[in-house]
Amino acid sequence: MRAPGAPAGPGFLRGALAVAAKDLRLEWRTLEALSAMALFSLIVLVVFNFAFDLSTVRRLGAARLVPGVLWITFSFSGIVGFARSFQIERRRDSLTALLLAPVDRGALFAGKALANLAALLALEALVLPLSAVFFDYDLLAVLGPMLLVVGLHTIGLAELGTLFAAVAARVGRGEALLATLLFPAASPVLIAAVRCTSAVLDGSDLASASRWMLVTAGFDGLFFFVALLTFEHVLED
Amino acid sequence: MKAAGRLPCPALLLATAALMPAALWMAFVYAPEEKVMGPVQRIFYFHVPSAAVTFASVLVLAVASVAHLTTRRRIWDHVALAATEIGLVFCTIVLVTGPIWAKSAWGAWWTWEARLTTTLVLWLLLAAILMVRGYAESREQAARLAAVLGIVAALDVPIVYKAVDWWRGQHPVVFGRGREAALAPGMLVAFLFCLVVFFLLYASLLCLRVRLLDLRERARDLSDLLGER
Amino acid sequence: MTDEPILEARGLTKRFGSIAAVDGIDLELRRGESLAVFGPNGAGKTTLTRILTSTLRPTSGTLRIAGRDPREDELRSRRILGLISHQTFLYDDLSARENLVFFARMHGLRDARERADALLASVGLGERADDPAGTFSRGMQQRLALARCLVHDPEIVFLDEPFTGLDPHAASLFRAALGRIRSEGRTLFLVTHSLAEGLELCERWTILSAGRIAARGRSEETDRAALEREYFLRVGKPRSPGAVA
Repeated sequence: MRAPGAPAGPGFLRGALAVAAKDLRLEWRTLEALSAMALFSLIVLVVFNFAFDLSTVRRLGAARLVPGVLWITFSFSGIVGFARSFQIERRRDSLTALLLAPVDRGALFAGKALANLAALLALEALVLPLSAVFFDYDLLAVLGPMLLVVGLHTIGLAELGTLFAAVAARVGRGEALLATLLFPAASPVLIAAVRCTSAVLDGSDLASASRWMLVTAGFDGLFFFVALLTFEHVLED
Repeated sequence: MKAAGRLPCPALLLATAALMPAALWMAFVYAPEEKVMGPVQRIFYFHVPSAAVTFASVLVLAVASVAHLTTRRRIWDHVALAATEIGLVFCTIVLVTGPIWAKSAWGAWWTWEARLTTTLVLWLLLAAILMVRGYAESREQAARLAAVLGIVAALDVPIVYKAVDWWRGQHPVVFGRGREAALAPGMLVAFLFCLVVFFLLYASLLCLRVRLLDLRERARDLSDLLGER
Repeated sequence: MTDEPILEARGLTKRFGSIAAVDGIDLELRRGESLAVFGPNGAGKTTLTRILTSTLRPTSGTLRIAGRDPREDELRSRRILGLISHQTFLYDDLSARENLVFFARMHGLRDARERADALLASVGLGERADDPAGTFSRGMQQRLALARCLVHDPEIVFLDEPFTGLDPHAASLFRAALGRIRSEGRTLFLVTHSLAEGLELCERWTILSAGRIAARGRSEETDRAALEREYFLRVGKPRSPGAVA
């Protein structure tokens, strides 16, 4: 049956939003990635508590210990989610249908990255209170700056994570290759994230960490455009 | 393809072969001995040129990657691959010679100093690119994915450097700005000479590798042609 | 205007390492025409389909879709072509309607929901619209895939072994649906193992062997037995196993 008039394509923004909404709807329905990420995070937090005995935790204080624990948890759980976002496209080869849609490949990247960002932020909303309980610090007192810092640095992780997950999926590999690619490349974001989180937990003014936030903001912006421009070469066969 | 045939490999090789013994002589004999550190300091006539070559190789990688993605010509992929491999070799030299010097100068094999840490991160990135190439299903795919990763890696390096620099604070650096004047003239001459020779060595290796990759490609094309008859 | 071929390929070649999966293929399809492509596994049928749908770059040769090189204006050529394969390209955990609405949005349709419902009804899945695609039988999934392919009303439809895994009843339902989309004036490019299906559905046929066109003809002038003789004559020498299908 014929439709009235040939559509012109959704354009960049609507295409990206359609992909993100589809990914999040799938995730909401199955909770496959989030449940795996949440369980994994829980295990990492518990393992870290085994790794340090209580006196060490008390002596070092939350500001020294928690930032590292948090960002290792976030980035490893992120990898689980990023890898899955391309596995769902391989199951029935739906990636081919996405590639046949009249949208810029960059829009596919933006949509996937947006969904990955949302999933990782949801996980972080779960892990942050949990870490406050496990490592005994007052999250509510620093909630505002903490959300800002976590959000900003998660953007960078989700961007590079999405690009590299596509690369790994293209060569038929999963989380291991993704981790190998992501950790060195994202090291500036991880360093900045730990620095800023540390400043937040110290109760110091966020202005003291402003240059780190600038590094991350620049990193987020730069690699967003790099990924937009290069994504078509990753997806091409 | 024909471009690779015109590369001046023999000239570069000859120049490198002729000047390398002279560089060794400059580093071990001509340059005066450093008063505090003694002979260990001479490692810097190899360490710093290797580092310079490594980062130059990243630049070559970036240019070749962009050129490959825009033109899709194989020659640019060969240059990118050669720059990755040879960059990795010189990167390894930096990572081996650095700690040897650090042990005697600072008393520790490894310090998370900005330049050393950036070099380590770069080593990991280059190794990961070669890994992805190995996993790829076809040469075209290997070339494209490696080019994308090459661009990301090249852009990443200065950010990593700046981040680690702020993170660990300034550590003493031997050939840093402002200290150059403190170098004895003999040391400076030896260092500059070694720098030039290392770049010649790099150019020769790059040239040979690109030529080899090109010949291998042509051999494959020929065997394809023959296989069809 | 109407005489201009909608698809025109000259000397298409694609090499994977030492294998030429597609080797110098010339093709021409006019609007509303239908072509069946037969060939054994490894003949290069899937590779050819992927080149024609611009998901794979040819090593050499030229391709024109509706008069223009699809590489020059990728979005335009993607707007007028649709693809169905033995994979459904659907999301098992989304309902039939959600699948179609998503792909309608990806093609920029404003009335995505209405379009999805109309298509679901036309392939006989109206009553299962809210069930997850993963719970459908293979035949229903393939009809849903057909609806997905038609969501943006493509002028030319590529089908790559669409009957794979269908039972006889599902296959006949699917065949009827294909007959309908042909009668709507769409151009059809059907890749199949099945000589009977190709002859029934398409006006022209061609046999692909070792990446080359080995024979071609018109379906009305060809009887099944003659085509079978021709086919086994042409593909008598099977290519090495593991070659690209």
